[in-house]
Amino acid sequence: MTKQHQNWSPYDNNGGTCVAIAGADYCVVAADTRAVGCISPFTGAVRQKLGMLRVISHLGMFGGELSRADKSLMASSGFQADVRALQKVLAARHLIYQHQHNKQMSCPAMAQLLSNTLYYKRFFPYYAFNVLGGLDTEGKGCVFTYDAVGSYERVGYSSQGSGATLITPFLDNQLKSPSPLLLPAKDAVTPLSESEAIDLVKTCFASATERDIYTGDKLEIVVINADGIRREYMELRKD
Amino acid sequence: MAKVEVDAPPKGGFSFDLCRRNDMLSKKGVKPPSYLKTGTTIVGLIFQDGVILGADTRATEGPIVADKNCEKIHYMAPNIYCCGAGTAADTEAVTDTISSQLKLHRYHTGRESRVVTALTLLKSHLFRYQGHVSAALVLGGVDVTGPHLHTIYPHGSTDTLPFATMGSGSLAAMAVFESKYHEGLSKDEGVKLVCEAICSGIFNDLGSGSNVDICVITKGQKEYLRNHLSPNPRTYVSSKGYTFTKKTEVLLTKITPLKKLVDVIEGGDAMEE
Amino acid sequence: MDLNAPHSMGTTIIGVTYDGGVVLGADSRTSTGMYVANRASDKITQLTDNVYICRSGSAADSQIVSDYVRYFLHQHTIQLGQPATVKVAANLVRLLSYNNKNMLQTGMIVGGWDKYEGGKIYGIPLGGTILEQPFAIGGSGSSYLYGFFDQAWKEGMSKDEAEQLVVKAVSLAIARDGASGGVVRTVIINSDGVTRNFYPSDKLPLWHEELEPQNSLLDILSAASPEPMNI
Repeated sequence: MTKQHQNWSPYDNNGGTCVAIAGADYCVVAADTRAVGCISPFTGAVRQKLGMLRVISHLGMFGGELSRADKSLMASSGFQADVRALQKVLAARHLIYQHQHNKQMSCPAMAQLLSNTLYYKRFFPYYAFNVLGGLDTEGKGCVFTYDAVGSYERVGYSSQGSGATLITPFLDNQLKSPSPLLLPAKDAVTPLSESEAIDLVKTCFASATERDIYTGDKLEIVVINADGIRREYMELRKD
Repeated sequence: MAKVEVDAPPKGGFSFDLCRRNDMLSKKGVKPPSYLKTGTTIVGLIFQDGVILGADTRATEGPIVADKNCEKIHYMAPNIYCCGAGTAADTEAVTDTISSQLKLHRYHTGRESRVVTALTLLKSHLFRYQGHVSAALVLGGVDVTGPHLHTIYPHGSTDTLPFATMGSGSLAAMAVFESKYHEGLSKDEGVKLVCEAICSGIFNDLGSGSNVDICVITKGQKEYLRNHLSPNPRTYVSSKGYTFTKKTEVLLTKITPLKKLVDVIEGGDAMEE
Repeated sequence: MDLNAPHSMGTTIIGVTYDGGVVLGADSRTSTGMYVANRASDKITQLTDNVYICRSGSAADSQIVSDYVRYFLHQHTIQLGQPATVKVAANLVRLLSYNNKNMLQTGMIVGGWDKYEGGKIYGIPLGGTILEQPFAIGGSGSSYLYGFFDQAWKEGMSKDEAEQLVVKAVSLAIARDGASGGVVRTVIINSDGVTRNFYPSDKLPLWHEELEPQNSLLDILSAASPEPMNI
């Protein structure tokens, strides 16, 4: 028992992969629904699937359905207990914001709030790896990518989680401009159309699922654009 | 006198000095290199006419799938096959060496190999390496004394069972066997049960995946059903395909022939002993 | 839950002498850490026609020792032209256990019958000691049995009394020791030869707070019980 206690950790990794792509007038956020856990809490020799999760939070009223008013979407991977705690904190902060300002928080504001919330626990971090997507105040797609302690950056596309090492190079190849020094400077958002971006996301996940054991089961895609917000699902490999 | 004996290096046998070194290094926090592990589901059962072996086809290296369709049912003898879990190199090497010893033994005796012979050779090999050869095996075959099924653990212990599972998916597969296995299964029932057990590993254990391989061994014949089931096709293929643009331009090509830089002496002196 | 842990037999093994022979007994559970790797294993292994051995500890180690001893005894039997004695068998086990004590993690009980000394039991615990005993118990389950044997073992028991004692003792150990379980196997060796018996769990007595075997836990709940959660 003493030996087991030495190995005890407050964290677990439940796996999962997230991708977000920003376009001129839309944003696509996607994540797989697989959760992984070990069958023994102490040594974790055999890792098994836990079940399905809804991983994309729209940061409106906690637990509510997607609404036209939603401006930001957060996809998370890592430790599910921390992810849920983080979502709850953000939803509560957002509710207070709505009462105080009588409007929804903009996506860039939510991005700063997420950063602050993560850094607040700098020395006992949330074990959560997030991407935040949405439309900015001009209606342009935006994606923010984070580390576990709140460092963040606005980008045109991003991937986080267990499959990120496989997906990021592919997205770089497809979407990144050859050089940051290239003139005239290219916009941060991707040149793809919305349907092309969704196609790209589906390919990313189908491919990552082939090679990453922590990714699979089902893909949840949420698209936000001027017309509103919608969610769709795609099947992934289940092994 | 006794002291001298203890300090003197051993005259023969294996040296485990490097194990002590590795122990010391790992205590200092040095990570050993990772091996290709077949986090695996392998199973076997005895049915009315013989033995059925089954395996998944995923090989992993940490969280990455290294091979989506590898073969885990290894040939031992015409009437004996062996499923392997653990480090891929070890299962492959151990089954190959023992299989060659069995063939020599057959040339020597002029008789069909027996499953216990394979079992004894495998367990002696594994025991000698004290669990460092990490091969967990399910050995099955039909010989002159009838059908046999054994499991062999990396430390060299063996079990004789009517149904067996091994590897990281062994718990998922054993759950199926424990609830549905009974004596005197027909071939079709047996294959179906083995498929179900392997699928249980494929879908519930992360280390196992892709397809189901099956090997049915009966008296005097065998059937190797490679990719008997493929329950995990790719779920999405983009209709337009992808292009990967060439982004590094070749500015200059220059070939330097090595022959001009060194003297090549044709037909030099013969090498010394 | 470490499936790579060495295969070991948290075990209950027993050897008892009686008037005219010996009874050996063992449970049938083999585990790797928390997982029962084999629930019907046979820990009473044949060495010669008239000598058997009960194995406990590391499965790999005890198998290799008994394989070597069986091989030596076969040679010995041929060279001698008559069956090996229990003492010789036990001494070979001791020799291997003692000379390789750094490598081996196994305790064994050798029992058998020969024409010179009749039924004999030898305990060979971890370091390679040899102990000629009227009865011997071993394995993780044995700690639950010392007191019981001090009370229940009698000189000059009949064959049936001795076997019933062994079965009762192993079933008591199975009830209390988590590392022992499954069925009870016995081997009786005397001048007439060898008898092997097997007692599945539904043939064993139920001890304090043990439940009747159930096909499904739902059966217990559907039975007319006022407090289902008390089960």
